[in-house]
Amino acid sequence: MAPGPMLDVHPPAGPPNGEPSTGQQKSQKAMTKAERRELQEKQRAAKAAKAAANGAPGKPSGKPKDQGAPQGGAAKPKPSRASDAQARPTLPAATRATEKAKAGQASMAVDTAAKGTQARGLLIFSHFGLPKPVSAAKGDIHPAIARLALQFSTFKITGANARCIATLTAFKTIIQDYVTPPNHTLSRHLMTYLSPQISHLVAARPMSVTMGNAIRQLKLDISGTDFDLPEQDAKDALCRKIDTYIRERIIIADQVIQETASNKIKDGDVILTYARSSVVEKVLLEAHASGRNFSVIVVDSRPMLEGKRLVAVLSEAGIQCTYLLLPALGAVMSEVSTVFVGAHSIHTNGAVYSRAGTALVAMMAKRHSVPVVVCCETYKFSESIQLDSFTKNELGQSLSAYSLLPSD
Amino acid sequence: MDFDESSTTKIVTREFLAIVLAGFGNELLPLTTNHGDEPCPKALLPIANKPMLEYPLAWLEQSGITDVLLVCPTPQRSAISNYIQSEVSSTYPSLRIDLQTFEESQDMASGTCSILRHFSSRIQSDFIILPCDFVPPPSLTLSQLLNKFRTESTYDGAIATACFYEVSKPDKGTVTEDWGMLPTNLPIVFDERSGTLLHIDTPDDVDNNNKEFELRMSLLSQYPRTKLSANFRDSHVYVCRRTVLDALQAKHHFESLKEEFIPWLCKPQYQRTRREKYGNILSPVTNNLSQALALKHSTLHLPARKQRLRRSAVGSDDDEHLRSVVPSPVEQDDEEATEPSLRVGLIAHRASSGFASRANNLHAYLELNRFFLGQTTYVLPSDAETRSLIDPKAQISSDSMVGRSTRVEERASIKRSVIGKHCVIGKMAKVVGCVLLDHCVVADGAKLDGCILGAYTKVGAKAELSRCVTQPGYEVGEGETARNEKLETSDWTARDTSESQESDEESDDASEDSSE
Repeated sequence: MAPGPMLDVHPPAGPPNGEPSTGQQKSQKAMTKAERRELQEKQRAAKAAKAAANGAPGKPSGKPKDQGAPQGGAAKPKPSRASDAQARPTLPAATRATEKAKAGQASMAVDTAAKGTQARGLLIFSHFGLPKPVSAAKGDIHPAIARLALQFSTFKITGANARCIATLTAFKTIIQDYVTPPNHTLSRHLMTYLSPQISHLVAARPMSVTMGNAIRQLKLDISGTDFDLPEQDAKDALCRKIDTYIRERIIIADQVIQETASNKIKDGDVILTYARSSVVEKVLLEAHASGRNFSVIVVDSRPMLEGKRLVAVLSEAGIQCTYLLLPALGAVMSEVSTVFVGAHSIHTNGAVYSRAGTALVAMMAKRHSVPVVVCCETYKFSESIQLDSFTKNELGQSLSAYSLLPSD
Repeated sequence: MDFDESSTTKIVTREFLAIVLAGFGNELLPLTTNHGDEPCPKALLPIANKPMLEYPLAWLEQSGITDVLLVCPTPQRSAISNYIQSEVSSTYPSLRIDLQTFEESQDMASGTCSILRHFSSRIQSDFIILPCDFVPPPSLTLSQLLNKFRTESTYDGAIATACFYEVSKPDKGTVTEDWGMLPTNLPIVFDERSGTLLHIDTPDDVDNNNKEFELRMSLLSQYPRTKLSANFRDSHVYVCRRTVLDALQAKHHFESLKEEFIPWLCKPQYQRTRREKYGNILSPVTNNLSQALALKHSTLHLPARKQRLRRSAVGSDDDEHLRSVVPSPVEQDDEEATEPSLRVGLIAHRASSGFASRANNLHAYLELNRFFLGQTTYVLPSDAETRSLIDPKAQISSDSMVGRSTRVEERASIKRSVIGKHCVIGKMAKVVGCVLLDHCVVADGAKLDGCILGAYTKVGAKAELSRCVTQPGYEVGEGETARNEKLETSDWTARDTSESQESDEESDDASEDSSE
């Protein structure tokens, strides 16, 4: 695979546009680390300001533009920065820079930097954009879908299986509440009725592969509905098909996986798992229930910290658990006998698509010759192929320090 | 064949019904006393020249609620109905307001609980209770409250969400004690991280034990880090599940929502005996499909601790939960159901995020008007007819509001005041920091400072009123002075003469219409 494009994390130290005219022209070596960083921020900010100025000439006059601006910005006192309606909470680097910088100049430049990058602060993620706030329901969104969208956007229902089951359950409610308008047939109109509901869910959080596959199956079933059936029978038949889908392709598939995978766990094994997969959790609980004696290492990562809940569930069941964060993985990998991971989907070329960080676990395991078992139901197979990294990620919510405490 | 394109049938079920309660406003007397035969409903008292009712209605429309049930006492029905038909239907076309009356008299106002019980047959879905006098801050949208309710009621079985707003203590000088006591705040205990309301200290609790504050240990073991605060006031906005009404029916003796029912509703979430008694009513086995299976598979979901311990213990009987009568796809998972938390959510709005208040007493009414004055600047009206009524030599400060068709004569001075519609401000009159309702007449040379004049009040020439409140239709004689008083007409036969009596502060028995 060809190497990806060079990611320009640090702006080039070329002719800086935003160089303050009164700034000391020290050499790079003479400046302290903080001042060097501050200079970097200013350069990046000026570059972003230039790009932003070219791209959005209609911005309010508070924004400085081009070379002449920082000098003009010097005249503006600090209060103008606070009153700028678009001022976003500054990044820690930015606040450090403002403390050290001269009056208005650097603060205006840094402020532009904050607005320019406008995201997590890492240029490498800047193409993701910000997590979207859930918009008010436009048009006739069923209350069940509105609530589900809220559950998705506030990360209350997460995980490929959970989201699929939740979506299908909500669709069952909608189908039961649905009334075919006159001069329409259920098989044709129901799909047009469901489409805006699906878009609302997608607006809350990008659709998972499982949801996509389930909806595709549902559409097939709807269009295959018998024309002559009375409406209530048609609706009941659809609900039964949804139930069958959930039961056969998720629940029973999970049971088959449980039996097969738990056979791979022997007494005295050390199992490593990453984040929390509903299937892997079931496998481990099943293996423990069938009497095997093993311990589990749970590797976790920010921002979601799902592994904590897995540790809670496993410890309640009596399994001995170790918990660590992803950077500490190398310390324990040599003791692991098997790695079990779940999957969000499997691509056509066999690549496994899972929680961010799974690839790291798999590669580390390979380095230490530890077998990796992927537990994935067949309904998660997708027809796509992903060639590059950092394309389909979502950015999670940044958590404050206080939310690290275990919560129910 | 009939190619009818207009068949857009409403397929979507109604999610929320908003219930707006309009009462008599006994705390706002004498502003709400009848003007002759006509009632002055509290809901139509203007704040910044907009009827009070408009603020909650605007709030509702902003969040997309369409169905409103407006409950008012029978005497006020026609006034409110006129208002709704003339103004609301044009400004808020998406709201469908159903006006219902409730028999009660001004002296014996029935409690909000009885009203709710009376109308419970009309309420089929989850509902929102709003008072007519709550002015929400722009930063707090009803959608935030609704979203919190929607998320929590699905996620862990919460039953209601309330909204409390922080009040800052007013300065000593601005409060006129003679207008009535400032309402005291009820101390509340809440958990900030999850936004849960745990305990409201009611006046009954204070009566039972005024030395100690009693809390249950089960509250503290479930929520070890709580906050206790007396800075918050209840906005009387409650978003509730339909099952809460069933619980209300079970409690016949409760009269007041704010003081009795809601504090009671906070208890089942941690008190075991109440949960056992009322858990079935508050969270019953229903026909609705729940997200229990999805939540079981959710990677960020953790069943309640009691449930996890119970799962490891064999042979325990489970309480029902978000259980369905409709069979779930997997039969045996019904037993591993999670218990609903029966939580009451809370949105605690801080004073720093915006000013919010309920206009249910005279101080708050004045404060709200002043707040809105600070938001706008006065400009001379643009249409010529209204313009001609305002004399160019009149001094109207930029932080005042003057209503339509008000005549302001020369050398009148208006500062920091709200003047209603169709008023007359005479020459050399000085109006500072006042609120004048519609149709007031202030004669020449009168001086008004910090007063609230009810509708149709006439202030005689050279009268001086300081911090007074007048009843609608009151007439202040020429040259009279009054300070810190509530001016009421105690005797209606005195209306025929030009002089009217000033009433004493002790008797509030006004507005008895002698000629029926």
